[in-house]
Amino acid sequence: MIPLPLQIILTAITASILAGITCSLIGVFVVHMKLSSIGFCMSHAAFAGAALGLLLAVDPLLSALLFSTLVAFILGPISEKARLSPGVIIGIMFSLTIGLGFIFLNFAPGVAATQQALSILWGSIFSVTFDDLILLGLLTFFIVFLLTLFFKEFQALMFSRKLAEASGINTSVFYFLILFLAGVTVAFSLKLVGGLLVFALIVNPASSALQFIYDLKKVLVASPIIGAITCLLGFLLSLLLDFPVGSSIIIVSSFIFGLSVVLSPKRRRG
Amino acid sequence: MGEVIVKLSEVDTIYEGEHLPAIKGINLEIRQGEMVSIVGPNGSGKTTLLETVNGLLKVSRGEVRVFNVDMSRDPMRARKNIGYVPQDFISDHSVPFLAQDVVLMGRYGKLGLLQNPRKVDFEIAKEAMRLVGVEEFAHRPIGKLSGGEQQKVMIARTIAQEPKLLLLDEPFSNLDIDSRKEISEKICRLHEENNWTTIVVTHDLFSIPKRCNRVLVMDRGKIVAEEDPESVMCSVKSLTGFYRGLRQ
Ligand SMILES: Nc1ncnc2c1ncn2[C@@H]1O[C@H](COP(=O)(O)OP(=O)(O)OP(=O)(O)O)[C@@H](O)[C@H]1O
Ligand SMILES: [Mg+2]
Repeated sequence: MIPLPLQIILTAITASILAGITCSLIGVFVVHMKLSSIGFCMSHAAFAGAALGLLLAVDPLLSALLFSTLVAFILGPISEKARLSPGVIIGIMFSLTIGLGFIFLNFAPGVAATQQALSILWGSIFSVTFDDLILLGLLTFFIVFLLTLFFKEFQALMFSRKLAEASGINTSVFYFLILFLAGVTVAFSLKLVGGLLVFALIVNPASSALQFIYDLKKVLVASPIIGAITCLLGFLLSLLLDFPVGSSIIIVSSFIFGLSVVLSPKRRRG
Repeated sequence: MGEVIVKLSEVDTIYEGEHLPAIKGINLEIRQGEMVSIVGPNGSGKTTLLETVNGLLKVSRGEVRVFNVDMSRDPMRARKNIGYVPQDFISDHSVPFLAQDVVLMGRYGKLGLLQNPRKVDFEIAKEAMRLVGVEEFAHRPIGKLSGGEQQKVMIARTIAQEPKLLLLDEPFSNLDIDSRKEISEKICRLHEENNWTTIVVTHDLFSIPKRCNRVLVMDRGKIVAEEDPESVMCSVKSLTGFYRGLRQ
């Protein structure tokens, strides 16, 4: 283990916790509203976007944001009307965005860019700046705020969009709000976990919480706690073993998910 | 009879991606306080008709007015007062909702944005659960209840909504004979007490509520006959015979 300045460690720890919270909060909706395929495409689009940012020398965060929200708003209406099956969407978009991403990286100039490129792929917690931290903090606050304010609507939307509509709740706004927030969350967490793995951070903690808990309010508390712990443990693991931080986080979260499946009362018979 | 609550004029509904309308040329007027049953064979358009009334399906021709509001313009306000129990609505075993959450959600549309459920809302939900006899399931996850139990919860949800117009799509299909009779009678009582307007879809002629004023018979997307309940019950010995007669 290499000794690191305290400030960097603190930034990294806070970033892991915040990313863990936002990803796993949004994850509850992504998992239960059957948006997984869209989320998956979004995270790879964010990767392609960040790569393009490197190539054009604009802030990768900005271009990642643009790409992932763009995908959300293209795929949202398509999957909403069930015109294409999720499998088809994944198949096409995954290869397209990864292909584009690597082409962009290939043409990105200089050694510094290569370093950054790797961090977009695998995540690099030490490249998280103080500004990134502030943005991540604002995003966390914003998401928690919206979920509290419109809990009722999100709950109804999640239970059944059709029934919510039938009883006079305008769900379209909230459906697209979730998609948009998912896109932003993906882009903001890219630096930390990397484009190839960020989606797992969205899905795993939420899925783990959903293995145990049937009450949406409690799920929305448990999932971010699991997410934050996952990210912290992953971060420590990467320090100890000198693994890429993204990979460590995903290993931890997969382990937690596996454990929760084994222990889950939902899967037991009788 | 009261004022016209539901009015369909020359309505066609085509599902997205289809060419032929699932219901066509529907003209229908239902007045306040009426209870109307819709019967017909599978695929005759009963569900489509209900979802056209509450505007979940867009009409491709004609006009739907509910509470004198054009449903293709401003459906949301009218829907707060339309209760809907969909056909075969079964929740996945892992959904994170307790039965009591589901019933309480019936109140959400009326509450409107930024208004949290108040004490009265919880009480109304509780009373609705008591009425259909599901209060013992209140704290159980909806997905872990049996089909019939879930159906009762969905009925409680609609009662909690305190609607003015009630659309029931095979609401008793999963219920045992006793529950069917009991809940059907309770709905009839509520219907009268609250001066509801109620449309009940069924393909079982024997579960037409006795209280019902008219029976509409649908076949292949059209309303092909309108009967009064007694004559349907008397003249029909068996379902198949009835429907076969229709098709000739
Ligand atoms: N989502 C859909 N897309 C295309 N066609 C549909 C869709 N849903 C129903 N239909 C068609 O519309 C027609 C009417 O269907 P509907 O569900 O209204 O029948 P129903 O009378 O409710 O039947 P059941 O007794 O089986 O419930 C059928 O021919 C059916 O094939
Ligand atoms: Mg039907």
